[in-house]
Amino acid sequence: MARGLGQYILIRALMIIPTILILYTLVFFFLRILPGNPVMAVVGTKNIPPEQLEHLMKMAGLDKPLYVQYFDYLKGVFQGDFGVTLAFPLGKPVWEYIAQRFPATLELALWAFTVSVLLGLITGVIGATKKGTKVDTSMRVYSIVAYTLFIPWFGMMLQYVFGIHLHWLPTSGRLDPGVDLQTITGLYVLDSILTANWEALVSSVRHLILPALTLGIVLSGAYTRLVRNNMVDVLSQDFIRAYYARGVADRKVLWYALKNAFIPVVTLMGLQFAILLGGAVLTETTFSWPGMGTFLVDRIDYRDYNAIQGAVIFFAFFVGVISLIVDIVYALLDPRVKY
Amino acid sequence: MRKPYATLSVIFLVVFAIVASGCISGGGGEETETPKATQIVIGVTDKVTDLDPANAYDFYTWEVLNNIMEGLVKYKPGTLEIEPALAESWEVNEDSTVWTFHLRKDLKFADGTPLKAQDVVRSIERVMTIQGDPAWLVTDFVEKVEAKDDYTVVFYLKQPTSYFLALLTTPPYFPVHPDYAPDQIQSDQTAGGAGPYKITKWVRDEELVLEVNPNYYGEKPKTEKIIIKFYRDASTMRLALQNGEIDIAWRTLRPSDISSLKESGNFNVIEVPGGFIRYICLNTKNDPTSNVKVRQALAAALDRAEIAQKVFMGTVEPLYSLIPNGMWSHKDVFKEKYGDANLDLAKQLLSEAGYSESNPLEIQLWYTPTHYGDTEADLAQMLKEQWERTGMIKVTIKSAEWGTYIDYARNGQMQVYLLGWYPDYLDPDDYTTPFLKSTANSWAGTGYANPTVDELLTQAQRLTDQNERTKLYEQVQEILAEDVPYIPIIQGKLFVVTQKNVKGVVIGPDMIFRYSTLYKE
Repeated sequence: MARGLGQYILIRALMIIPTILILYTLVFFFLRILPGNPVMAVVGTKNIPPEQLEHLMKMAGLDKPLYVQYFDYLKGVFQGDFGVTLAFPLGKPVWEYIAQRFPATLELALWAFTVSVLLGLITGVIGATKKGTKVDTSMRVYSIVAYTLFIPWFGMMLQYVFGIHLHWLPTSGRLDPGVDLQTITGLYVLDSILTANWEALVSSVRHLILPALTLGIVLSGAYTRLVRNNMVDVLSQDFIRAYYARGVADRKVLWYALKNAFIPVVTLMGLQFAILLGGAVLTETTFSWPGMGTFLVDRIDYRDYNAIQGAVIFFAFFVGVISLIVDIVYALLDPRVKY
Repeated sequence: MRKPYATLSVIFLVVFAIVASGCISGGGGEETETPKATQIVIGVTDKVTDLDPANAYDFYTWEVLNNIMEGLVKYKPGTLEIEPALAESWEVNEDSTVWTFHLRKDLKFADGTPLKAQDVVRSIERVMTIQGDPAWLVTDFVEKVEAKDDYTVVFYLKQPTSYFLALLTTPPYFPVHPDYAPDQIQSDQTAGGAGPYKITKWVRDEELVLEVNPNYYGEKPKTEKIIIKFYRDASTMRLALQNGEIDIAWRTLRPSDISSLKESGNFNVIEVPGGFIRYICLNTKNDPTSNVKVRQALAAALDRAEIAQKVFMGTVEPLYSLIPNGMWSHKDVFKEKYGDANLDLAKQLLSEAGYSESNPLEIQLWYTPTHYGDTEADLAQMLKEQWERTGMIKVTIKSAEWGTYIDYARNGQMQVYLLGWYPDYLDPDDYTTPFLKSTANSWAGTGYANPTVDELLTQAQRLTDQNERTKLYEQVQEILAEDVPYIPIIQGKLFVVTQKNVKGVVIGPDMIFRYSTLYKE
């Protein structure tokens, strides 16, 4: 069995490479088709003399033929070099920029993810155990309403209530102005703990609550239905009836049922988490959260070819790895899965 | 199900404790530990692009550079008068081609490194070598710069330039710390220059912290620490202001937000006369806008007051020339020639051009939805309404995001399109040459070329007497109103909204927000 699993992992890992290549090629192609380029997008309406424009294009490597640009960049990536930014800030290593922004997205994703799974589980289980009643219906209504909430609107409502009205929480950003935090991982909560910085810990947690709630509640809607329906299926199966017949406590039965119902949820979790990592642009904009979502939007605005290509490749790789982990976990959890 | 509930309750209690402790210690807002009087927080939705004057060419980054660096001369705060800054005096030769500056004797950078004439030369040569975006502000004018001794800098210009002092107030001419690499753009370099503040913390797109520069030669800033917080959009910034998280919201609040904040009475709303202008570009090479009568008709039908009121809620003023109100040589040429909302004249011109109600003029009006704020769609809609009131025009509105829009503009692919302009230096030349001189206006894509105008503008650049220059610029404006490659619409005002206890906001016609005068009561 170990050999089979090992082979499975290896093959899946190798599949990541052609996925990245295809994505890179598509992005490269589309970026070049779009009108505009990083030099023009930055220069905008400034009346810069033509010789200087040529010089700027050369600095950005845009005077070379397309296929040269394509392979040059790819070669760089294999050597771990994602190139430098072609628009403000100019010449900054893309990897450095991604390393700066990604932890913000990762931290928000982790918290939002936790909120969404917990909420989804609770509401799903309640719905399943009270199947057919008004409670069940209200759980389903919750899931639909939550999932269709428009994030900027919902986020703003929370900002108004908990920020402006009650003054309990800050409305945006990651830290209070002037709070000094030494960053090690870029995950501010973790860094505060690691550097024993109580002020920063309090500040970073307070700033995470609203965005994590906003995104978490909206995403939880997806889990509610899945958990509820799977639980209902599992609860109607023979082995569950056997437990009841044998007099096993209600709570324990539910727990066994949940463990079984959970397996398909794991797949959804993996998918959701991967999507979260792409940066929840709407949440990031509403809460001025400096993550990958807003990074990509800005870079696309500036037509920063290198940064966009780098971010896409990075993201594809990460999603590939997460999918692989999810599949492995799934395979380990469910003895019925063959590889 | 007891276990999950128990864990959940514990988590909830922990988080609640943290929130509560945060509320008790810091309140819903500002600083947590530092006493209020020594720190001011400014919110912006602009970004800092490159902390390097050799490449930075946008409004906000220039503002930051003006606070951490200084040039040989500067505008007296709140005015258009030029006064000594790093240089205490200067001389210029007969034909304005050789400018000699004498530096103050005790200049230092923020870390104590002395600042001498050689640093000025090094910084300017650096801009010329790197050839970044704003380099032309130096290379188009300066042939050579030399340090005659430790305190004397001499500029040899390529041609007589009467407004050289105005150019010297721009960041490409600022001396920078020796840590700046001589041949490379350093976007995140925090060593700064010799300004009233220095950078102590820089987290891109999140926070910029400035503290008083102990080695600044001039008057010490009133507030010890300035923190700039970057916001993604104006609504979030407004909420932060209302929630007390920031002391000042600068510039980009929407007109509707500004009115409601003003009405609430809880904030200071300060209006600053702005030098930024909005205008319509017309393609003079392609049909139908290649017909001057068509362009004149579009100019005549315009109702600027209605636009200022309905679209911008009074936060702008009508503009009848490319040179802004308040600047010398400005003339209301479009008003003189066409009046306001002159539908009769517009219809007459359109008939002369061969159009009628059964054969209307069909044009495409372009705008870009986010670059100039979100009033753009409304502006386009209003223009369409105004032009269609003639009954002889049919307008189709189109839009494109900024990168695409700029590309279309440069390639002359749009017929009628909206653009804006923030000045680089405060001189009528910066509002005329980039638009009307055929060797300088290709970026705008209008294809306008008039040898008379070219000649007048070149002459005006070389003359030193302001009266003589005024006469030339007036002529240029008259030709502008006749040829109509552009239709100026409005001139913007800038708004600063602050908490009630914030004072000392001094922003002049140069639109540069100097933080050194700010203080809290």
